[in-house]
Amino acid sequence: MKDNDLIINIENLIVHYETEEGTVRAVNGIDLKMKKKRSIGLVGETGAGKTTTALAMLRLIPDPPGVIKNGVIVLNGENILDKSVKEMENIRGKDISMIFQDPMTALNPVFTVGEQIAESIMLHEDVSKKEAYERAKELLEMVGISGNRANEYPHQFSGGMRQRAIIAIALACQPKVLIADEPTTALDVTIQAQVLELINDLMEKHETALLMITHDLGVVAEVCDEVAVMYAGRIVEKGSLEDVFNRTKHPYTEGLFNSLPNIKDRKAKLKPIPGLMPDPTNLPIGCAFSPRCPYANDICREQKPVPRWISSTHMVECSAYDDPSFHIARREK
Amino acid sequence: MDKTNVVTKSSVAASRKYKKNSQLYEIWRNFRKNKGAVLGLTVLSIIIITSIIANFVIDYETQIIRQVVPERLQRPSWKHPFGTDQYGRDILLRILYGSRYSLSVGIVAVMVSLAIGGVMGVIAGYMGGIIENIIMRSCDVFASIPALLLAICITTAFGANTLILMISVGVASVPAFARVARAAVMTVRDNEYIEAARAAGATRMRIMFTHILPNCMAPIMVQTTMRVGSAIITASSLSFLGLGVPPPAPEWGSMLSEGRSFIRDYSYMTMFPGLAIVITVLAINLIGDGLRDAMDPKLKR
Amino acid sequence: MYKYIIKRLLLLIPIMLAVSFIVFFITDLAPGDVVDIISGTEMSVEDKEKLREEMGLNDPFVIRYFRYMSGLVRGDLGISLVTKKDVFQVYISRLPATLKLATAGTVVALSIAIPLGITAAVHQNSWRDSGSMVLGLLGLSIPTFWLGLLMIIIFSLKLGWFPSIGNEGLISVVLPAITVGSGQAALTMRTTRSSMLEVIRQDYLRTARAKGVSEKVVIRKHALKNALIPILTVAGNQFGIAMGGAVMTETVFAWPGIGRLIIDSINNRDTQMVTGAIILTTMLSSVVILLIDIAYAFVDPRIKARYTK
Repeated sequence: MKDNDLIINIENLIVHYETEEGTVRAVNGIDLKMKKKRSIGLVGETGAGKTTTALAMLRLIPDPPGVIKNGVIVLNGENILDKSVKEMENIRGKDISMIFQDPMTALNPVFTVGEQIAESIMLHEDVSKKEAYERAKELLEMVGISGNRANEYPHQFSGGMRQRAIIAIALACQPKVLIADEPTTALDVTIQAQVLELINDLMEKHETALLMITHDLGVVAEVCDEVAVMYAGRIVEKGSLEDVFNRTKHPYTEGLFNSLPNIKDRKAKLKPIPGLMPDPTNLPIGCAFSPRCPYANDICREQKPVPRWISSTHMVECSAYDDPSFHIARREK
Repeated sequence: MDKTNVVTKSSVAASRKYKKNSQLYEIWRNFRKNKGAVLGLTVLSIIIITSIIANFVIDYETQIIRQVVPERLQRPSWKHPFGTDQYGRDILLRILYGSRYSLSVGIVAVMVSLAIGGVMGVIAGYMGGIIENIIMRSCDVFASIPALLLAICITTAFGANTLILMISVGVASVPAFARVARAAVMTVRDNEYIEAARAAGATRMRIMFTHILPNCMAPIMVQTTMRVGSAIITASSLSFLGLGVPPPAPEWGSMLSEGRSFIRDYSYMTMFPGLAIVITVLAINLIGDGLRDAMDPKLKR
Repeated sequence: MYKYIIKRLLLLIPIMLAVSFIVFFITDLAPGDVVDIISGTEMSVEDKEKLREEMGLNDPFVIRYFRYMSGLVRGDLGISLVTKKDVFQVYISRLPATLKLATAGTVVALSIAIPLGITAAVHQNSWRDSGSMVLGLLGLSIPTFWLGLLMIIIFSLKLGWFPSIGNEGLISVVLPAITVGSGQAALTMRTTRSSMLEVIRQDYLRTARAKGVSEKVVIRKHALKNALIPILTVAGNQFGIAMGGAVMTETVFAWPGIGRLIIDSINNRDTQMVTGAIILTTMLSSVVILLIDIAYAFVDPRIKARYTK
């Protein structure tokens, strides 16, 4: 892997939401690298800070109450957190674009689908309105929708078609980075597979780096090269797909796998992770997962764990590995 | 045995009372946080108390309507803080005494429209079907006549006096109340406790007025408060046109109408009665806004 | 679409009939009639009664109503009891002045209300928001006629910038338009604010931002177009009301429009004129409100879809 393939480098990103009721510590110092043509799955429960991380990359965190407290997000060698508002507008949609979770609400109901795709092109490229509209039609064809439906409004589209249209908007200017925030959660299972395949194909074709945000490990296995597991605003385990799936190290990752039904052993009981995510306004002193962790010891409860590199690609953040003999129950494959 | 029974009964009663109180208390607590609303309530209380005191302290015959020629058209001074009018009557006293007209017309007018419109709306919302259609279409018809024109129409037909004024102002906002009440009923109509009451064999009337109405009070109360403000404005407008409270009664609108003839040289005559209207209506509107936010914190966001 | 418009226009007819019936019914209750006014005091009671019989005034109410309505269709609403002029003609001659005032007032209202309402919504809970809300509440609390009087005192009598009465030249419309407009602005602003607040949290605005659309365009194009329907409704209603409700402003500024016509006719006991003017005005404002209703379809494709089905 050459270093000039590196497109995005996030270091020590900290995002807080400062509300009247207290400070919500949504993202608490994460590091993430994205490379050309590579896709990373960002996995975790609702509220783990996945979407906040993504919005930070676009500088679209609602402010107030959201504040980026610390960190750098380097895109092509420049920290986008230092960019002006105007420069940021040029980056959005052109260098980094995002597919949102709910296709039913992500399209503006009073403009035609074609207009909404063409708008993106006109913002970033020097083309006439007519040319942009023609390109919009081509983009629709690319995502598998007939181009002459460009003059229809979102309410005339089905959920799956809307999500395709949103993908067309996101890819209109061939961005270097595509963030997909649970792009299939709101869709039927059959449509889900089509949309994932579409994203995969387009990523290959446009040499885009993909950040796939999901809580669905199945989606990750299908699409991603790398996986980062997020818990309470930290990345607790990170590595290649094989690292995380076959050589699972973190107890939380193990918990995620255990709460999946196993087709091979349908009699096996599901083992959900006990308890709930900690209150992000009041995180535990030690490891945020320690209250729910079956392996937690006193050190876990009192000291923040530090990243530990198992191999050049595999990182885990768990103090239990201070003891060389420690291992989790899930067996390596 | 008897004893425990008594205890349970009273504790049930107590907890029910507590629950009701806590709901009201919750509204009051939210209301109290709103500075504007508290200011409005304070000002309105002062106005109401003043108008009651004025009733006992000020003599209508000698201080309000008697003409004092030597003192006519005097600019504001220590003796007459708001000056005097073309008949030498003290404008401050007239304004203080006149608050009763605006308040009573505003409140009675809204009670009229609340009574008619509220009942129509509740019936329409609960019955649905043809009855709802008839009621709501006739509301549409009434609503399509501009309120002021309808009021003007009624006062010309029946003559200008305070009672007619109250009715004509009230009739104009009947459709608005009917719509609010209907919408409110429709939102609670299909709730489970209504279903339960129906299953328990309560009659339609009983369900409508003991179960549905109390549960859709919030929007109706807000509407009522806001409407009192606009009713005061409509009433004073009619009086200004000579179609409301007839002179020499010191209704604020008719005082403005009198002052208008002297606007060039004695503009203070048009300042103070107008200010009185604005302050009163503003106080009521502040309360209305505060009530709305207090009853439905969602609306404020 | 055209089918819908025609359907709506047809639905307007029963409403118009009902409205005119109500107005005719109420004014019919007014004491005194044509005969009392045109005959003066010289005529004997018997002669008056004979005249009434001849003019059909003793016919049952319903018959008189139908006679009146068939006149209305032909543009014949009788003649003024005082000036002996044709009611319909007089009304039409006064219409332009009122239309001018209502239009100017609406322009003033919208140009105050929409920017303020948007600012309040975008900066919710800031000083700008509370400032706009206070202004709005103040606007709702000031009687139009008093605001008009204040304007005359300040800008006409004290500063001498504008004429205080009449309709001569463009400058004379300034004060009345501001008077009509600021009352309308208050309600329109509150509606704009709450409608924008509704829209401002929608996901599709985030989509627009993620495309690189600037904040200004997000608000003015993407958000405003979605928030427009309630704003249009209120503005349209207010315009409709201003058509007949400019009564107060027209009285204060001696503006020679329909409002003045109605008030003058009431003072002259010209029932024929009052009835005609009120019925025509109500019809006119219903038509305006209907037009606004139809305009929705051009703003929101979802509504259009519902119509064309």
